[in-house]
Amino acid sequence: MFIGFYHVPFNKRISMTNIENQIFSSYQRNPDLFDEIYDKNGKIKEVYQKLFNLYGEHSINDYVSLNNKAKSSFFNQGITFQVYGENNVQEKIFPFDLFPRIIDQEEWDIIERGSIQRSKALNLFLWDIYHDKKILKDKVVPIDLITSSANYLDQMNGVNPPGGIYNHISGTDVIKHKDGKYYVLEDNIRCPSGVSYVICNRTALKKALFGVFNHYQTHTVTNYAENLLELLESVKPKGVDVPTVVVITPGMYNSAFYEHSYLAKTMGVELVEGRDLFVENDFVYMKTIKGPEKVDVIYRRVDDQFIDPLEFNPDSVLGVPGLFAAYKKGNVTLANAPGTGVADDKAVYTYMPQIIKYYLNEEPILNNVHTYHCGRPDELKYVLEHIHELVIKPVDEAGGYGISIGNILTKAEIEKVKAEIKESPRKYVAQPIMSLSVHPTYIDDTESFEQRHVDLRTFTVLGKDKEFVLKGGLTRVALKRGNLIVNSSQGGGSKDTWVLKK
Amino acid sequence: MKTMPRDFEVTYKAENIYDDWVHDAHWQFLIIPFENESQHEVQIEFSNSLYANTEFSINGFGFKTLRVHPKKKFKQISFEAKFKFKKEEIDPYDFNINSDLSVEYNELEHFDFKITHERFLKQTIYTKLNSIQDLLYKFDTTVSIFQNLENLNHWIYKFIQFKTGVTKVGTLLKDLLLNKQGVCQDFAHLFCALARTNGIPTRYVSGYLNQNSGYMGDSQMHAWVECYIPGIGWKGFDPTNNILANTNHIKVCHGKDYNDCSPLKGIIHTGGQNKTTHTVMVQSQQ
Repeated sequence: MFIGFYHVPFNKRISMTNIENQIFSSYQRNPDLFDEIYDKNGKIKEVYQKLFNLYGEHSINDYVSLNNKAKSSFFNQGITFQVYGENNVQEKIFPFDLFPRIIDQEEWDIIERGSIQRSKALNLFLWDIYHDKKILKDKVVPIDLITSSANYLDQMNGVNPPGGIYNHISGTDVIKHKDGKYYVLEDNIRCPSGVSYVICNRTALKKALFGVFNHYQTHTVTNYAENLLELLESVKPKGVDVPTVVVITPGMYNSAFYEHSYLAKTMGVELVEGRDLFVENDFVYMKTIKGPEKVDVIYRRVDDQFIDPLEFNPDSVLGVPGLFAAYKKGNVTLANAPGTGVADDKAVYTYMPQIIKYYLNEEPILNNVHTYHCGRPDELKYVLEHIHELVIKPVDEAGGYGISIGNILTKAEIEKVKAEIKESPRKYVAQPIMSLSVHPTYIDDTESFEQRHVDLRTFTVLGKDKEFVLKGGLTRVALKRGNLIVNSSQGGGSKDTWVLKK
Repeated sequence: MKTMPRDFEVTYKAENIYDDWVHDAHWQFLIIPFENESQHEVQIEFSNSLYANTEFSINGFGFKTLRVHPKKKFKQISFEAKFKFKKEEIDPYDFNINSDLSVEYNELEHFDFKITHERFLKQTIYTKLNSIQDLLYKFDTTVSIFQNLENLNHWIYKFIQFKTGVTKVGTLLKDLLLNKQGVCQDFAHLFCALARTNGIPTRYVSGYLNQNSGYMGDSQMHAWVECYIPGIGWKGFDPTNNILANTNHIKVCHGKDYNDCSPLKGIIHTGGQNKTTHTVMVQSQQ
């Protein structure tokens, strides 16, 4: 459904004088937080000045009506996600904030180079630990870290993935600390999601406030699908001329189903479930009304353990029997490669600076957050004594599940966390509580803009001898006041993110 | 002097009966004799009662498999595989031990060695022992690694009584150690556990045992182990029979434990109960 009245408010200029309840009139700044649009002296940063003026021409009422329209647009397009609780599953609209985040060319350059550097280093790391294991033999990374990981697949030893790529798609989560520097919080290289929201956010903002784009030279984000397809095609199996690419999804009940269907649609490839594919003589075929069609590259959004019931979890109905044998024989490409999750482990993250140095002989462009590894006795001791000033994370969970933030825990909760860590120290890492930068975000309850913490997930795609970073990424907002967890599964929202051309 | 290779013939039969109709099923058989220097010219005949198409493939570790996927519904299916091959006479004692024992023991401690053999040094759910059980069998470093392994082979043979029906697929060592009764795969798992505890890379081996030899564990598929001894290489030990693996041991595959070597895997979507029976026959001509 197209909502025609979208363009109206910002084209129809409201009188510049005496705006009642102007947008930023009640915006309160906490001087201890790093505000991305104000400098230390309370002056609007230059890059935001025009945007500030443009939004400032409007009243909160205008904004609310636009905001509601944007929400209904998301709902009508079915851009929803699911939150898994202990007892129930909730379907939610993805909260979207109409005030965009701007990253200038200079800062973006650092983020982009840093994301590529990490993705490449992780790829080399994965090749090494599934082949010669030099980094382990040289004692740069402890072997226990790898072999004790549930995501380490013995079956991948000696396997050469087509084009030499393991982490075709990486989602790097970066934050801006109050020192103004970017830090990486996590490298997500299993099935990082969120890229469809980047594109939808841009579309929604363009529909709502087209005029503001005239004042900035912003890089497009709608070229993601074409670049993804090109790079997936570049890692086709040997002997294939024009590869057939598909996206495999666990199905419509998966929390990221919208994204799976969106990516398939925009790449112009089929979206399939396990039951739509079959393996014959170690080649993979898709069932079509015209008969079987050979499949060469599978962008899989199904976890390792579920891709092939004959090789991994036998109860899986999401996978394809025989798929792993076809992969191992080099007849099909899986992106990301099986076993990639071992490097997604948050305990491996702690070694990223050494990993980058080891394979690329470069200094890390993006900083790591100092991380305590509960598997090391001296660090475990520190963690147990300083829980109130640390963030405790399980090493193998994604989506913000299982995270405890020390300074908001009660005494009883601290004891509970301590007991859990002592039970299985290898399962936890801890980091100092980072002060994420804040960005003005519209809050429904107070009908005003307030400071909210934000992070940024960048999307890097590696292909054979080329790479691509989406110039934008997903800015996630922690909507609850003071909350630091930005994951959508934890009630976070998002913003359109503009990377400027100059 | 090299002797003539022996001709072997292995017949494997399996029958599955289901209460309800089965509409969709996939089977993967890991039963083909492994080709190596001592086992070669493997010929394969395979049939099933539904005349369903059979494919050759590999499992996740590269061992040859047979896969069957019937395209019509059924309640009963039987499989028959016949393997003919040649096998060289093996003298399991045909090797030399370095007279300086510290050489081989030092190698076990070497970091690169531990990483190279990491897969067969780590314990799995089927080979896990608690810290007290870990001490059940400690190596005597005044004798060779091989001698220790042969002693361990003997020790397990005495410690566990061969008895069918006490344990089943999925029995853990803690339960085996309570009853001290089990079958070849239990013997092999206990061997893996204790050898790995002593720093020896050890792999679980699945295969067939020549029936005419009168050994135990011969009407089904058999299990034994292989240990990596520095300077010597992989050596086979059969704790169920207190012998070294020899010409009568026909290897199919190896892995960390039974899980990596399961001879038959099925993905079957059906309600109700099912019944599976297997038989194995091994014949050889000198």
